[in-house]
Amino acid sequence: MRLRKVLGLFALAVLVCPSLSSAQGTGIIRGRVTDAASGAPLAAVQISVEGARVGGQTSSDGNYSVSGVPSGAQTLIARRVGYTLQRIPVNVGAGVANVLNISLKAVPTTLNEVVVTALGTTMEKRSLGTAQQAVKGAAIAETQRENFVNALQGRVAGVQVVSSSGVPGASSSITIRGVSSISGSNQPLMIIDGLPMDNKTLNTGVLASDAPGSLTAFSNRGVDFTNRAADLNPEDIESLVVLKGPEASALYGIDAANGAIVITTKRGKAGKGGFEYSNSFRIERTRAQPDIQTTYGPQVVTTPTSTTFFYFGDPYPAGTTIYDNVNGFFQTALTQKHNLAFSGAASDNKLNYRISTSTTNQQGVVPNNKYDRVNVTGASQAQVNSWLNADLSMGYTYANNRQSFKGEGGPLIGLLVWPSSDDAKDYLTAAGQRRKATNLAAEVDNPYFNVNKNQITSKNNRIIANLGLKFTPFGWGNLKTNIGTDSYTNQNLILRHPESAFGVNNNGIIDVADDITRNLSAQTLLTVNPHFLTKSISLNGLLGHAVSDFKSTTDASKGQDFLEPNFVSVNNANSRTSRTSIAQRRLVSAFGSLTASFREYLYLTVTGRNDWTSTIPKERNSFFYPSISSSFIFSDAIPSIGRHMSGKLRAAYAEVGKDARPYAYRPSLEFKTTSNGGYGYGFTGPNLDLKPEFARSYEIGTEMGFLNDRLGFDATFYRKQTKDQIVNDIRGSYGTGYILFNLNGAETRNQGLELTVRATPILRNGFSWDILANFEKAHGKTLALPHALPESYVSDTWLFGNVRNGTAPGLSTQSLTGLFYLRNNAGKLLIDPTTGLPIRSTVFIDHGYDRTPDFTIGLTNNVKRGSVSLSFLWDIRKGGDVFNATEQFLTARGLSPRTLDRWEPRVVDGVLRDGKENTTTPTQNNIVVVPAVQNGYYTNISEELFIEKNINWLRLRDITLSYAIPPRLMKNASVFLTGTDLFLWTNYSGLDPIVNGNTAAVGGSGAAGIDYGNFPIPRGINFGIKLTR
Amino acid sequence: MKRLHIALLAGSMMLVPAGCSDYLDVNTNPNAPETVAANLYLPPMLHWMVTSPQFDGRFIGRYTQQWNLPSTTTTPNTWDRMGYDPSSDNGAQQWRDVYWSLGQNLVDMINLARTEERWDLLGVGQVLKAWGWLVLTDMHGEIVVKEAIDQSRFTFDYDTQEFAYQEVLSLLDSAATNLQRSDGAVSQTFLARGDKIYGGDRAKWLKFAYGLKAIALNHFSNKASYKPADVIALVDKSFVSNADDALLTYPNTNNDDTNFWGRTRNNITSYRQTQFVVGLMNGTNFGNGTVDPRMSRMLSPSPDGQFRGVDINAQNGGAFTAAQLPNNFFGYPTTGGLQLPGRYIFDDKAKIPNMTYAELQFVKAEAAFRAGDKVTALTAYKNGISAHFDFVNSRNLDNGQTPTQITPAEKAAYLADPNIVPAAGSLTLTHIMVEKYIALWGWGHNEIWMDMRRFHYTDKDPITGNQVYPGFAFPTNLYPDNGGKIVWRIRPRFNSEYVWNREALDVIGGLALDYHTKPTWIVNP
Repeated sequence: MRLRKVLGLFALAVLVCPSLSSAQGTGIIRGRVTDAASGAPLAAVQISVEGARVGGQTSSDGNYSVSGVPSGAQTLIARRVGYTLQRIPVNVGAGVANVLNISLKAVPTTLNEVVVTALGTTMEKRSLGTAQQAVKGAAIAETQRENFVNALQGRVAGVQVVSSSGVPGASSSITIRGVSSISGSNQPLMIIDGLPMDNKTLNTGVLASDAPGSLTAFSNRGVDFTNRAADLNPEDIESLVVLKGPEASALYGIDAANGAIVITTKRGKAGKGGFEYSNSFRIERTRAQPDIQTTYGPQVVTTPTSTTFFYFGDPYPAGTTIYDNVNGFFQTALTQKHNLAFSGAASDNKLNYRISTSTTNQQGVVPNNKYDRVNVTGASQAQVNSWLNADLSMGYTYANNRQSFKGEGGPLIGLLVWPSSDDAKDYLTAAGQRRKATNLAAEVDNPYFNVNKNQITSKNNRIIANLGLKFTPFGWGNLKTNIGTDSYTNQNLILRHPESAFGVNNNGIIDVADDITRNLSAQTLLTVNPHFLTKSISLNGLLGHAVSDFKSTTDASKGQDFLEPNFVSVNNANSRTSRTSIAQRRLVSAFGSLTASFREYLYLTVTGRNDWTSTIPKERNSFFYPSISSSFIFSDAIPSIGRHMSGKLRAAYAEVGKDARPYAYRPSLEFKTTSNGGYGYGFTGPNLDLKPEFARSYEIGTEMGFLNDRLGFDATFYRKQTKDQIVNDIRGSYGTGYILFNLNGAETRNQGLELTVRATPILRNGFSWDILANFEKAHGKTLALPHALPESYVSDTWLFGNVRNGTAPGLSTQSLTGLFYLRNNAGKLLIDPTTGLPIRSTVFIDHGYDRTPDFTIGLTNNVKRGSVSLSFLWDIRKGGDVFNATEQFLTARGLSPRTLDRWEPRVVDGVLRDGKENTTTPTQNNIVVVPAVQNGYYTNISEELFIEKNINWLRLRDITLSYAIPPRLMKNASVFLTGTDLFLWTNYSGLDPIVNGNTAAVGGSGAAGIDYGNFPIPRGINFGIKLTR
Repeated sequence: MKRLHIALLAGSMMLVPAGCSDYLDVNTNPNAPETVAANLYLPPMLHWMVTSPQFDGRFIGRYTQQWNLPSTTTTPNTWDRMGYDPSSDNGAQQWRDVYWSLGQNLVDMINLARTEERWDLLGVGQVLKAWGWLVLTDMHGEIVVKEAIDQSRFTFDYDTQEFAYQEVLSLLDSAATNLQRSDGAVSQTFLARGDKIYGGDRAKWLKFAYGLKAIALNHFSNKASYKPADVIALVDKSFVSNADDALLTYPNTNNDDTNFWGRTRNNITSYRQTQFVVGLMNGTNFGNGTVDPRMSRMLSPSPDGQFRGVDINAQNGGAFTAAQLPNNFFGYPTTGGLQLPGRYIFDDKAKIPNMTYAELQFVKAEAAFRAGDKVTALTAYKNGISAHFDFVNSRNLDNGQTPTQITPAEKAAYLADPNIVPAAGSLTLTHIMVEKYIALWGWGHNEIWMDMRRFHYTDKDPITGNQVYPGFAFPTNLYPDNGGKIVWRIRPRFNSEYVWNREALDVIGGLALDYHTKPTWIVNP
């Protein structure tokens, strides 16, 4: 009998017709499952019979029917997401229908919670051997953030969100468990309703201005574009699950090597119907602005050749009117948002629907910045017949973003450099042209001119459609197919006005780029319900298959040399160039998983996945990787412990591969725009030996609950090591004939500790207080670089002075290298004997900088009393370095207040580089420097004086107070008040330590923590009302 | 069972693409081809052969005091102090272009030309390769030749300058052989598709190959092996008039195909002519008061109409009133001139040469002079001046630049001036080298610097006892790393060698802070 069962299971797994159950002595159990509290019918409850290979699922009306149940005493098991698993003994009469109605209680202990996990399958949390953490859609929506990614910081242990700046539509990058890829993306895979969702941030590399050899390239500096996940309306999110490591996300394959974020959108709920309306109005003010000195005026421009603007000139004459140009610049920004949703279910609950729309109009604190979005979504589910369930969801998004430049050519730098003796507001001449402060051609942009005449606009039209069909023609499992598309047209326009400092040398530059992205994905899963081999051992599993085709075509053109200065069109340009960039990647996968459970307290899951990718040479483009995880509920195994607490131990190991970007291994010729055209090789050389990189990762963890689960914690330790990591665009000697290579051979190691503590200190008569604390300590280290090359960096991050995100063996994956001061063996600065100033290295060196925080804590509190509830999230960070490039810029220009003592003679502490610097008697520097005379004291100052070490912050990310209006005044209505980023305490001297000098498009550690001319995240107060009918 | 079949069908539909390996075959770059016709590799390489010397000319032109970047402080800028920019790729554009813009492209083109029996294209390819090694070794001394263009290596050993020269000469010999062939698939039409310098005329390329070899051999003037007769013979087989000049036209449709010195590209807007070059043309240092009519067509006046040069050692180039400050090379004060006509080669559409008839005549003049044949030397010298007058006039017509044409009378007067064109017996090296300097001023940076280094900048004319380059003086405030020494070479490209090939660099002493003050092999006896 036992052998037969094993064979039977095997047969099931290979899709052989499963007509194996015995026909003798069986009966039928049927009934209805309801919610214990509300009495509403519950759909999608999994019903199984312990020890028998039969089962079923409730339909939308809550009814179920299980046939072929062996007669006699049996135990029926009912399970559903968020409900306690129920075991009900039942005596089954042969050949008769036994009615058993069940009511399920909402979860009291988390271990019995049924959770969504990889591939959208649901599992009891107890069986999970990997770390994952869920966030409710409501908690995300409550923060009123346009970009839901920004709501995740602090809510999940291990997740780090860095927004590029504080302007509307700024891109945000998200990393889970730190930076492991030196040059590639470290962002997780986003999955929405089972299929991948594109979260691209436009890379300026596709612009015609960034064509190879172009001198007008942005290189992802000075501009920003929204990360496309922001197209999702937070109000449409039902729940979000973060699969943290490869262990949890192994089944999603190569795109989930950095973890996965699995989003389930809302559906119409049985027993609930009607409409919901909510709105939100926000007022935002800028947080801070830099200080500048207003004592010394700009240097009198006497040379024919000076093209920069320094403040080492004479003091402003007494009586000069000093304008606070910075303060008057920022505006109070208003945002409004309206959400409307209708949802419901047919009376028999076989059909449900939800349609919703939302509109957002966001202003920025910087004039002319805005982000507008319209969402229209519809989702409908139908139980077509007893064995087919169909689900269709479609979401349309229109987003329109206008940003100003940032960094070098941005208005903040312009504001600071504009002479304080002049009113910057007055930015146009009588003739309507740019009013300049000097006769220099480029000088510095008037910030008002900049934000009014220059622009970065990006419009996006997107459709995400997903059709899911679930077949349940048999009792032992189901087959689910999802086919979907995620397609958008993203139209971008970047204008550098002919009179602006940015555009004057080219008499105007306009870039347009239309990115047409169409991603098609399909996935089929065969799920096999738990099947008992013996009384105590059961098996379940799934087999799956997925196909994806991702393609983006960007048609870009650039116009230079405007005819009519204010007419914004490529047609207005004298000289035009265009280019097309196509990137296509296809992926085919097959995968499976098998879970064995022993007495429902010991679980072992093995998974395997094989991917075939188009981006690796054919002979190596197929790769397989396994994972194994185990969960042990020791509180169930040892009842004497279980009486006091619930507890689980888990351990997991996974391998996951990762492919290259498209077209990475064969060099191609590019059209050259030099005289008379022709072709020549691009920067990147060949690497026909390119192979996939692999990460090996393990994690161990424990979850415990005490005091009826009012206190619990979840701790995880992980370590991930990547091998043969592909480093994109690593440099080598030009002797190769090329400049860059895509090479295997880097190695990194990430390890860390995640700790989640939850507590409910108060829970009585309508008064509750919940605390959730997420702690993370993570660190990534580079162990090796390809061919023992000395350094790897992402060139876009070399955006100010001589600092970049270089890493080398032994350094953090988030280190910074630069031209730092040279020191003697005793660590004293080496001083140039001719100038008296410190000497900087001529090659990029390490100086121990690391942007990785020591730890971060996200602390959420929810207090509810009667109709009032208060929730707030503290975001705490300890350590990690931030480069205040803005301050260095101001110092080098003589604008920083720290340059006010410029006339004070001083001697830089150090030893002369006179040949004796490393002897026992080095020559102490005694050369007196007066910075006002020797400007090099400021202008050649090293970045290392501005990289601020160990930056901590305590930030009140969100705080929401809501009040349910008494029904006698208004039914089902509540009002709320939400503060976003209201308070920030930090030892960082700049405006905001959350900053990225590039955009989320840049790989590796990017330019996170490089602060140059960036706008801080503003403080906002939101208020609104919620109505439900 | 029907349900099951439907379910299986739905599932198996998905399996179809997986079974098809073609489905994954989408990794051929749709944005750019992997191979092209042999002649299509040529235009960018020819562009860089002419243009990248101009990139580096911003810096070499300061060593040779053709121009200066006035410093706003009392300390002159690095290059004006015979220094360099640490951790910068400045002064190494030709390094980039020889290894990358030519690099594998040239290897592929030569292979294709050989396979397809396109001997003319093969010859042009060999000329390009020889040109690359020649300019690179002249600038940097030791360079990577033997191990170059190899994607399997990650370190590259340096070869001696002597070896680089051998390679240059042997490549030029092969080129000459190939350019004389008319068999196989030799086709002017095919070559012309990529050759906008000579329109596919292999006879002109043959002259170019001889000319380049003459220039290379003339660099051996300090060596015992120097054979002036060979140089003269090669020049005689080379260019016969300005019509043979290797000129690149800049279509000026975008940044990259615009003259590097044009105002639009803004590369030289802040630079100013030096006292040294003004002194050579206004009669102060050379020509005993004879004002060169080319001065007002090549150099730039101050707003008051006078021609002045800046003092390379002084803050802001010296004390000038606004009317006295020399205009920029386009002829406008400060940064003016955008979209306006330029001057001489400083115009968006002015053609730039790689080699001219005038240049070769001066090479011949020097060789003949050294051979003791002053009559031949004088003829070549006069040819050189005359041809350069015509060159200046032609350039100023390229895009309707502002200077007027030099009249035949002005030219005749200059050539008749005994200070400029003496009797054969009175001809000096100063005459030849100064006129050559003027003829190459603004574009012939590699050769000007090579000439000045061959004369160790301040060598004395053995006949007059005066400096061959009258009025040339070293910067008074040399760059600190120089340790008081003058410059002899430019350090290899920083982001190629100082970061990624340090060990090999160490072998040749390249890591020393004063490496740029180490004389190169060719200038030594």
